[in-house]
Amino acid sequence: MLIKVPSVVNLGLETIKVDVEVNLANRGLPGFEIVGLPDKAIDESKERVRAAISSSGVDFPSKKITVNLAPADIQKEGSIYDLPIAVGILSSVLQFSIPDKSLFLGELSFDGSLRHTKGALLMALFAKEFGFLNIFVPKDSANEAGAVKGIKVFPVENLIQLAGYFLKRKNIEPVVYHKILNEISTPVEFDMREVLGQEQAKRAMEIAAAGSHNIIMMGSPGSGKTMLARALPGILPPLNETESLEVTKIYSVAGNIQPGGSLITARQFRAPHHTASLVGLIGGGTRPSPGEVSLAHRGVLFLDEFNEFPHNVMEAMRQPLEDGYLTISRSKKRVMYPANFMLVASANPCPCGYLNHPKKDCVCTLRQIKKYQKRISGPILDRIDLHIAILPVDTTEFSNNQKNSELLESSKIIKQRVILAKIRQEKRFEKDSIQSNAQMKNTHIKKYCKLTKDIENLLHTASIKFQLSARSYMKTIKVARTIADLEGAEEIAVSHMAEALQYKPKIYDTV
Amino acid sequence: MDKVIKIEDKEYPKLLKEIGNDAPKKLYYKGKWNSDIFENCLAVVGSRHLTSYGKKITEQFVTEIAALGITIVSGFMYGGDEAAHSATVRIGGRTIAVMPCGIDIIHPEYQEGLYNEILEKNGLIISELEGKFLPVNWTYARRNRIVAGLSKAILIVEAGLNSGSLITAKYAKKYGRKIFAVPGQITSEVSKGTIQLIKEGAQVATEPGDILKYYNLSPVKTSLTKQNLALSKEEQKIIEQLKREPMEADIIARTLNVSVVKIGATLSLMQLKGFINQESGKYYVN
Repeated sequence: MLIKVPSVVNLGLETIKVDVEVNLANRGLPGFEIVGLPDKAIDESKERVRAAISSSGVDFPSKKITVNLAPADIQKEGSIYDLPIAVGILSSVLQFSIPDKSLFLGELSFDGSLRHTKGALLMALFAKEFGFLNIFVPKDSANEAGAVKGIKVFPVENLIQLAGYFLKRKNIEPVVYHKILNEISTPVEFDMREVLGQEQAKRAMEIAAAGSHNIIMMGSPGSGKTMLARALPGILPPLNETESLEVTKIYSVAGNIQPGGSLITARQFRAPHHTASLVGLIGGGTRPSPGEVSLAHRGVLFLDEFNEFPHNVMEAMRQPLEDGYLTISRSKKRVMYPANFMLVASANPCPCGYLNHPKKDCVCTLRQIKKYQKRISGPILDRIDLHIAILPVDTTEFSNNQKNSELLESSKIIKQRVILAKIRQEKRFEKDSIQSNAQMKNTHIKKYCKLTKDIENLLHTASIKFQLSARSYMKTIKVARTIADLEGAEEIAVSHMAEALQYKPKIYDTV
Repeated sequence: MDKVIKIEDKEYPKLLKEIGNDAPKKLYYKGKWNSDIFENCLAVVGSRHLTSYGKKITEQFVTEIAALGITIVSGFMYGGDEAAHSATVRIGGRTIAVMPCGIDIIHPEYQEGLYNEILEKNGLIISELEGKFLPVNWTYARRNRIVAGLSKAILIVEAGLNSGSLITAKYAKKYGRKIFAVPGQITSEVSKGTIQLIKEGAQVATEPGDILKYYNLSPVKTSLTKQNLALSKEEQKIIEQLKREPMEADIIARTLNVSVVKIGATLSLMQLKGFINQESGKYYVN
């Protein structure tokens, strides 16, 4: 007897339908075989299915069982086929029919219950696109799949419950689609008002957050670079619906969504250590999975001690920094992951860290300093919009008023300005395929950044005086656009452009 | 064939011969040996880690002094030495670089551009070491005695304690040369050496004229002083602050009680107009 149970396979972020064909033959010796390029996890699913069915109080049929995962030439992986295989066997034993236009996914436990499984959201999206009506997923993954409108998501607790439903003895209430309106506030380590001094750096953070600009901070240890970066999530605008879905997709594939979790609505803040491997950061592996750059999609990738990162890792970030996605090519598969992140980097000016420090003496030789600074290559620096030098703050110089953090601007107030600037950008780029000022290409700049003669002259003088590269020239205009957006101005004014020049690439002079 | 001057030669610098046993027996050189280059020499030395203040002062002093034909002698190291040499060649003055290594080596090698420029402007590269003798710890210190020996006076802009510049000063004292030291902030690491010299009796130099007087020259009034004509009130206030000491944007904003957003824009514009300049995060008046 042949039973077909539809499921899916996720290749990167692409989803393909897989038919799980279960054949129970009366002839031949009893056995259990899975074919169709399964990996080790699928092969082991035999044992899980056998145990789960037995613990559910059903006699495991002593027949020759063969499972085929069609199409047979695509490599399949993971534990998601436990449920479809078990459903196939049960439908033969208990004589129920599987409803039309349904997809199944889930990992089984030995006791017959279902465990949280990755990829539920992608299957739900696939179901919607290709006209499937019902999907059956583990209860813990149901909220994730429930973020997709227009399909019925059945949260399955265990095999007994599911069999009962198919035999029309029990009912499973589908998860109700609910649009997530209010953002769940994620705890932030620091509020911007806790950072004393560093007004210009804070302002640069605000601009970066508003326009998704890449930013680099250079300064001695203890000057507050890391604290500023850690305070950044508190001023980031929330994700809009499309962005949220994009991010959740990546997290779903990577299996990074908590059991019971749903759509991710806050921008993600990823801070990999500088010992991270190339694959860990960029993504890949024999089974290509998203790396940190993709997990930071639409969010922040914070690289502390930027020049301690291995050269190859740093250079591999050029493509995602420029294009907003990256392609991982392996001999057998090719997957594309979005990686449109905002890079926040921090670096010391020299190996000992105290170059230009007002109190401490730098003990590095010029050669060491040059070598150290050269670790961040020109092409990478050129892709960073905002450059700021961070000098240590002497708190004894503050007046009592200036020291009182209650009087300083809180992250909440800054965030409101950022959100308004973000809305302006969304409106502006409605018809374009970009979301933020940082993504503007030259055609967009021509269209949206009209410069008066005065400003053009100013920029021209600046480009000669500061020796700006052509890319930096364009970046300055983009930053000025964001500054104008923060102020709510339609056109870029001289003051906006002049401020933008504050964040131009700096030469960290050593002599 | 190496170009070399021996101690018994007529062309050997007189002042250097006076230092007796310390005088090198031979001097290898690159460039055109012209005895009058040694007539009025001033050694200018400074820390390898020159601050923006030190750099500015070195350039200002050297420019005015070298313009009057005084030869600037230094050690070709990066930092203070480099600033002194390049300020001299920039206004077309003559300068002598005393190398800590064999005459055929350029050290540090990335200053090759400066090396060639010194020769182009009729300067000299000299060393007591021949061929490809590599620079080692002791050659730097030995080299300093030649720097001091060649000069009538020495000017130390910035120096840390236990620095090479203080070794030069020690030699200068031994040979009876006049020592000028530029004071800096007492908290600055690279001013501790110069302040120690002042305590020990070195003459304080606060303007090029102080040194020129010693050479019986008077400073030329340059018409370079900028007129603060087109400055707004705010800009004037900023200049006033920066004249006291270089500052970063945050501190300017804090002292003037203006938002950093506004200050940032103003600073950029002032920088473009050429009133101020920025280095390693701090602004200073040109």
